[in-house]
Amino acid sequence: MSAPDADAVAAGETAVSGTGTTVSDTGNTFFGDVRVNAERWTRKAVHNPTAFLLEIVVATFSLVLFSAVFGDVGEAALARAGFAGVDYLTFLLPAVLMQATMGSAFSSGMGLVRDLDSGMFEKTVVTPMSWTAVFAGKAAAELARIVVQLVVVLGLAVAMGARIETGLVGAAGVVAVCLLVGLLFMAVSNVVGLLARDDEVVNAASMLFMFPLLFLSPAFVPLSDDIEAVAAFNPITYGVDAVRALVLGRDTLTVLSVSRFGDTANTLVPAVAVLVALNLLVGALAVRLLARASSAEAV
Amino acid sequence: MSQRPSQTAEPSGDETTARPPDRPRSVAVEDLELTYSDGTRAVDEVTLAVPRGEFFGFLGPNGAGKTTTIKVLATLLEPTSGTVRIEGHDVTADRTRVRAAIGYMAQETSVDEELTARENLAFACDAYGVPRGDRADRIDDLLDLVDLAAVADTPAGTFSGGMKKRLDAATALVHDPQLVFLDEPTTGLDPEARNRLWDYFRRINDRGTTVFLTTQYLEEADELCDRLAVIRDGRIVADGSPDALKRRVGGAVIELGIDGGSDAVDAAAATVREDPAVDDSTVERTDEGLRVTTNDAGELGPDLLVALREAGVAVTDFSVEVPSLDDVFLAIADDAVDAFDGAKAAAGTARDEADDRHRAAVER
Repeated sequence: MSAPDADAVAAGETAVSGTGTTVSDTGNTFFGDVRVNAERWTRKAVHNPTAFLLEIVVATFSLVLFSAVFGDVGEAALARAGFAGVDYLTFLLPAVLMQATMGSAFSSGMGLVRDLDSGMFEKTVVTPMSWTAVFAGKAAAELARIVVQLVVVLGLAVAMGARIETGLVGAAGVVAVCLLVGLLFMAVSNVVGLLARDDEVVNAASMLFMFPLLFLSPAFVPLSDDIEAVAAFNPITYGVDAVRALVLGRDTLTVLSVSRFGDTANTLVPAVAVLVALNLLVGALAVRLLARASSAEAV
Repeated sequence: MSQRPSQTAEPSGDETTARPPDRPRSVAVEDLELTYSDGTRAVDEVTLAVPRGEFFGFLGPNGAGKTTTIKVLATLLEPTSGTVRIEGHDVTADRTRVRAAIGYMAQETSVDEELTARENLAFACDAYGVPRGDRADRIDDLLDLVDLAAVADTPAGTFSGGMKKRLDAATALVHDPQLVFLDEPTTGLDPEARNRLWDYFRRINDRGTTVFLTTQYLEEADELCDRLAVIRDGRIVADGSPDALKRRVGGAVIELGIDGGSDAVDAAAATVREDPAVDDSTVERTDEGLRVTTNDAGELGPDLLVALREAGVAVTDFSVEVPSLDDVFLAIADDAVDAFDGAKAAAGTARDEADDRHRAAVER
């Protein structure tokens, strides 16, 4: 990651301003800039909560509908796949959390495209704020939005009878794994947004990613042999398996066989490693594209 | 010509050469060139200086290089070559200081429609590091200045185009910058909204802020600016005060309608020629009477009316036509084309294009 200029460093320096008066400081600090931008995006989300609430409603519907429709069939399939005694609602929980996370993550790219369209992007670039802080603040607000949604959906699922075997610590771990997936798809949506510069394309891309990836993973039913090879290349597989390992308190990873860390960790360690690696890869691309969009290079 | 009430910045000293006087410079540009990656040279050999407190206009047709230039000055585009200093800071080496010292209002209205007017201003205050203690007062002042105090807590998405523009302009001023860039700020606004913005820009300038305005409206430049540069095809083709530029085109024309036939017109012409400010070459006969060309219509017009009345000539019609900046612009555009390719045929084509532009400007 290469910042486009040294603005983060220089932001605190003396600047001549005002009607001939010298203001000793622009008053900008890196963390101040992060906070300012996090606040802006949070305010926007609070003023227009429709999308946020709809994502929670959709996740809740999925939870209710899938468990009602597939409940009995699902449990028979679960028993055959070595999940005997696990109720389908609990098995389904990771799928619904992934769905909510991905949907929410794509709003990051949509927000970016709207800022590019409305001129707010340029308006933000031309301020003395640190470029890095601007996007860190935006990402922080988006991650916070995902956390709130996850907590609501988790609460509803538990109220409906889902069980998290690893307790509160495990639930915190579930949220952490979901945030890794969220960060990954925030990066994906920003890359799509910067390449297409069209919020409808970003919206379509969210559907294009969400459904195939969810169905080509062990999200709804245990993996069949047919799709196991494909699922190994699907980031959602690792997110679902890591969350499920925490929910059930045991090793659930099927696409890789790891045995050196012990039970739950046999899933968690490789799954988290894969998600971190993907984040670094796609994140670097997103940061590069954002840096180029904010730079003063004449193209 | 300027109807500005009280101008903090003294009018630019020598109007004919339009050299800015030796004051601290808000903008100092030398040999600026900007070439895009596809090889398009949008700005070429542009040199200009804007002293502190001046209301400076950058005038040119679409695609002339106005926005590219303003983006370089506002640190949004890096110059291909040349030096640009803004309030003493180099735009490339000292980008953050330049950004802290300027306000920038883009051509497209840039407000966050999901936030209220007050929240938009609060975000701008935060972005420019306005001290917390000053914030509330600053925001209230600016809301008053742009007449948005009554709708301060309404989301900007519900505003009219003119209101959004005013909010946009206010957000560019939260840090009380020494210099404000306004890129075609009134494009697409109705006349009333435009007039309110003009008032507002004058008030900003009256407070001592240097204003750098781009426009394709000649009327706007004439109305607001102390000094103008005219840009065409990426090059500055003229600069000076609006009045000085108009003088380049020639004087004002006084049309006199005379009743009583040819003899009456002869008598009137004789009377007019008696005025020491009039020489023979500037008096012509027309179908209705006489046409007098002058550099000082304000004084000569009334003098002539009085003289004609005393001589017993019945004046039925009287009008003064001062050349507009449209005329200036057309004259300059033609000169520039003539200088570039010399050939008469080419000049004719270009003149047609210039006429089209002229028409477009008039229709607007």
